[in-house]
Amino acid sequence: MIDSLKILEKAYFIRRVEEKLIEIYPTDLIQSPLHLSIGQESLAVGVCSNLNINDQLFTTYRSHAYYLAKGGNLNAFMAELMGRKNGCCKGKGGSMHLADSSVNFMGTSAIVGSTLPHAVGAAYANLIHNKSNLVVCVIGDGAADTGIYHESLNFAALHNLPVVFVIEDNDLAVHSTKQERQSFDLEKHAKMYGFLTYSLDDTQNPEKVSKFMKDVYLQGKTRKKPAWVKLKTFRYKEHVGVLDDFEIGYRQKSDYLAWLAKDPLIYEKFKANIIMEIDFVIEQAIKFAKNSPFPDPVELYTDVIQ
Amino acid sequence: MKNLNLESELTYAEAIYKCMNFALESSSETILIGQGIGDSKGIFGTTSGLLNKFGKKRVIETPIAEEMMTGFALGASVNGLYPIMTHIRADFSLVAMNQIVNLFAKYQYMFGGQFQPSGLIRMIIGRGWGQGAQHAQSPHSLFSHVPGIRVIMPCSVDSVIENYQYEINNKSRLVISFEHRNLYDISFKLGANLGNYLKGSTVQRTGKDLTIVATSIMVLESIRAAEFLDVHYGISVEVVDLTSPSHPDYKLIFESVSKTGKLIVADTSWAPYGVGAEIARIICQTDPSILKSPIGVVSMEHTPCPTGKTLEDLFYPSVRNLVMLALKVCGKKLEKLPEGDSYRDFYRKFKGPF
Repeated sequence: MIDSLKILEKAYFIRRVEEKLIEIYPTDLIQSPLHLSIGQESLAVGVCSNLNINDQLFTTYRSHAYYLAKGGNLNAFMAELMGRKNGCCKGKGGSMHLADSSVNFMGTSAIVGSTLPHAVGAAYANLIHNKSNLVVCVIGDGAADTGIYHESLNFAALHNLPVVFVIEDNDLAVHSTKQERQSFDLEKHAKMYGFLTYSLDDTQNPEKVSKFMKDVYLQGKTRKKPAWVKLKTFRYKEHVGVLDDFEIGYRQKSDYLAWLAKDPLIYEKFKANIIMEIDFVIEQAIKFAKNSPFPDPVELYTDVIQ
Repeated sequence: MKNLNLESELTYAEAIYKCMNFALESSSETILIGQGIGDSKGIFGTTSGLLNKFGKKRVIETPIAEEMMTGFALGASVNGLYPIMTHIRADFSLVAMNQIVNLFAKYQYMFGGQFQPSGLIRMIIGRGWGQGAQHAQSPHSLFSHVPGIRVIMPCSVDSVIENYQYEINNKSRLVISFEHRNLYDISFKLGANLGNYLKGSTVQRTGKDLTIVATSIMVLESIRAAEFLDVHYGISVEVVDLTSPSHPDYKLIFESVSKTGKLIVADTSWAPYGVGAEIARIICQTDPSILKSPIGVVSMEHTPCPTGKTLEDLFYPSVRNLVMLALKVCGKKLEKLPEGDSYRDFYRKFKGPF
């Protein structure tokens, strides 16, 4: 059902999933930190809509939207969040460590910036194997503070690797703004390495992001260069958890409202039958997860390298 | 399974070189990564000429970016390559701790077995000629603490060959191998104890009065001490080579100590929370009553490694320390010590620079 949705509907489907998670979080069915993608769904759908199943996607602990946009299984997602045996990672990863190898949604990490070199290594292997698959790595603007970001950009550019770095620029690392953290201009910095660089500010509409990304991928492929993309976005909720946090004062609610005014992923904008269909699928997934058994005790010990 | 063809005697460094060459020759998926692996010195000869022979795509001279290159190795492995990474000093690997501990060691587990990355990370322990505080650490206990990593410390050519050949052929797990720089130029006869190095621990010398569990070059020191104790004191020492500090053969160690009732642990690193503590845990959790006297631990002094020679000599344990401690554990009076300082003499002769 998810696969057949149009780009805009798919993004809204992800929004509904996140809204549902907000609703059920107080029940403690999910007993782990959640970093919601809400507000940033259009990027995920835009980035993934031009990828095929063999293209690999590396992302972060805020990856619900990317997991679903890449085609990750919704039932296995819900079960994973609830720590069940049928979860995509057998209940051992949870929200911060989602992965679905069957659609090349690669391992996610809760250490900022840490999946960047994985994407670089994966792209290098593709080059050695003469594979044309693309490797995309999505990170937040906070990751650009790290040393490994610089190291990864350097190596990818030095070896002209078939990789695309996507920066989700919500201007925040937990509660601190870029202005407090970075002395440099992100795009100029990336360009200096020899990356093809692109940036888009109005990203509320996933169709627009999709069209934009299509061009990025095409340019990267034809010019045989790594590409770097910055997509501005807005994190609707607190860094971790399901609540609003405008009262803390590190950001303005008026900015949120201005962004929201351009957000097409609003209940009233979708047909009732589409919403019903989406909600039904989500309810089914929650039911599936609730009915899934917890992992066998022996699972504690499996998959530890000996 | 492919096998190496080898002559009957070769140095530790030659054995590693043969393994590296074998790794690249036997599988087109293997890549070498590291700083200095392509330069004229080729990691003390262990990678010399391989860049020219196999090309720069497979023998990658890397930027000074230990953390990134470790993550790179993980990503490359997930896509089918087998990375062999070299840190010319083990100390440098600490820069890559995040990728090793938080990512590589957990990648198979966290994602429920969907990915099985593998690789071999070589780390060279420096010693002597003023290596100092940041070129002489032996952080094997740090890595052995973490589930998901297999740590090995080959103490001989046999151990190098058996361990590396296995890992290179099987490509099944993350292995960190600590190679001691002072072993590099030592020649070994092949085959004395082949077939035992994958078990995590192996008996290098049998005895009945005292067990010495030793790591890396301390195995050689322990054998020297054992020979001296045998000749001059009639003490029969069993030397257990702890090939894998992370995966010891608990049964073998316990049985040896059961037999002798006495234990010394001789390690290349510091004592607190180290190999000695872990071996003591094994004994005490199973049956502490097998010990007839308190255990002894021979280790580096619990200070950073000083650079100046006189202090450096005090920092490292010698065969004399081992003999004195053995006498104490065995309740014997000191009458005679070995002439010279055994390997300390060798370290003195070591003219570096690195």
